Amino acid sequence: MKRLSLLIFLCSFFSCSKTPQTINYGTDMCHFCQMTIVTKTHAAQMVTTKGKQYKFDAIECMIRFLEDKQDIMASGNLFIANYNQPGTMIDAKTATYAVCEEITSPMGANLSGFKNTETAKKIINGRPAQYYDWEGIFNKIN
Amino acid sequence: MNPKTTISFLLFLFSTCFVFAKTITICKTGCDFNSIKTAVDSSKSGDSLFIKTGLYKESNIVIYKKSLYITGEKGTVIDTQNKGYGFSVEATDIIIKNLTIKNIEVSYTKEYAAILLFKSYDFVIENITVERAFFGLLVQKSKDGIIKNNTISGEGKAEADSGNAIHLWHCENVKVLNNDVRRMRDGIYLEFGNSSYIANNYSTQNMRYGLHFMFSNDNAYENNTFEANGAGVAVMFSKRIKMFNNLFKKNWGTASYGILLKEINDAELQNNIFEDNTIGVNADGTNRITFTENTFKNNGYAIKVHGACYDNIYSKNNFLHNSFDLSYSGKLNSNKFENNYWSNYTGYDLDKDGIGDVPYRPVKLFSYLVNRTPESIVLLRSLFIDIINFSEKVSPVFTPENLIDNKPLMHKVTW
Repeated sequence: MKRLSLLIFLCSFFSCSKTPQTINYGTDMCHFCQMTIVTKTHAAQMVTTKGKQYKFDAIECMIRFLEDKQDIMASGNLFIANYNQPGTMIDAKTATYAVCEEITSPMGANLSGFKNTETAKKIINGRPAQYYDWEGIFNKIN
Repeated sequence: MNPKTTISFLLFLFSTCFVFAKTITICKTGCDFNSIKTAVDSSKSGDSLFIKTGLYKESNIVIYKKSLYITGEKGTVIDTQNKGYGFSVEATDIIIKNLTIKNIEVSYTKEYAAILLFKSYDFVIENITVERAFFGLLVQKSKDGIIKNNTISGEGKAEADSGNAIHLWHCENVKVLNNDVRRMRDGIYLEFGNSSYIANNYSTQNMRYGLHFMFSNDNAYENNTFEANGAGVAVMFSKRIKMFNNLFKKNWGTASYGILLKEINDAELQNNIFEDNTIGVNADGTNRITFTENTFKNNGYAIKVHGACYDNIYSKNNFLHNSFDLSYSGKLNSNKFENNYWSNYTGYDLDKDGIGDVPYRPVKLFSYLVNRTPESIVLLRSLFIDIINFSEKVSPVFTPENLIDNKPLMHKVTW
């Protein structure tokens, strides 16, 4: 009985974890547009204070999803895929965003995320692009 | 000079144009060239290149503003050895035929393809076999082309590091016919692709979609088979798509559908078969769509309608042995269900006019429950559910008031 209660306790503890769950590429579905998530370079993820996980196939999907949910946006943890390290997630609110015609993203915004502006500029490498911070890109997409 | 001689002189000049167009042969020894790349570089617009059988370890063959007719003998293999593109083309009037291209480089930042067409008009890509593809055929900003009889396959890993078999980006009037595409990300993907026609393709085991439309209008697809993909077809943010005679089969999994309709208007679905899918049709934000003469057989859900769907008409469809025929959220929103055949219909036909005398209500209370609490699906065949479904049938409370098929058919529709 003791063990069972411990198990239940642990389960409830882990299920409330606010760290992002790993995305199962190829099987998980985007919460906003229902597409299967496949691009490791453009995925995004949100975890609310209650631990609820939302997964998105593109950064623009997360931004559009959050348009009318300012309260969740303020309190939840937002993550985006780091474009130059496919599969790794970084904090969305401190990341740098680049809109570059030559790098297409799943939902047509041509939007990619980077850890900081220097790496972004290095990867974009002189191709025409606009750079934004979280606030900036949020206002541009919505 | 009289007019007759002028004409014949012009004709003579015209014919000399063709006399100067050569046929260049390529093989390991004894031909004009032993490398495709140097042959392409030294050819002129209008030339034909004939590649004799053999293995060519070449990559990034660039064709720039030259109309070439490239064809291979049976058994011609180009191995790019994971070094970028096979062919990279920017030209009008170009034909590439009868080749095998393999080992395309995988990259996260570059879209390497066996054949890349950029700003190319009047092209034909035929009988190309691509093995171990990253992208197969990548066509950008091009129009008036034919892509047919190609076989494209990827590595088939469950990882997401694969590209699309046939990817059209900003294209117009392209015909995609008789291709076999498998184990890629998307089988066929149209992104900003208009007025195209996709027919007789077989698309299977792709990680995401068998066929995918994004921001693409006025397209039609017919007689295709989509089997065991992540999801069969996704039509998103597009207008006026015609979908006839397709087979959607075994698209099974949590994020899996026969067809996903998201933000699309004025489409027609006719004579399609949906068989063994988790969800046959998943519709969200779709307007003015007609579903006629389709068969939904053995699906988890035949049709799942989410919000913002207006003015859709569902008539003369067969709903055969689906766990749920219909799942619905919100109001009816002037969607119409009429003259369908429902295998779950238990009414009678006393006047023998082929139309059931009692209306059919396709939404079960249980599907409403499952929508709210997905875990309750474990109760599916239990007596308790039979009882609540029966009680809902007797006095409906949860089903949208007008969600009724007033004229259910007594016999299957044949077409």
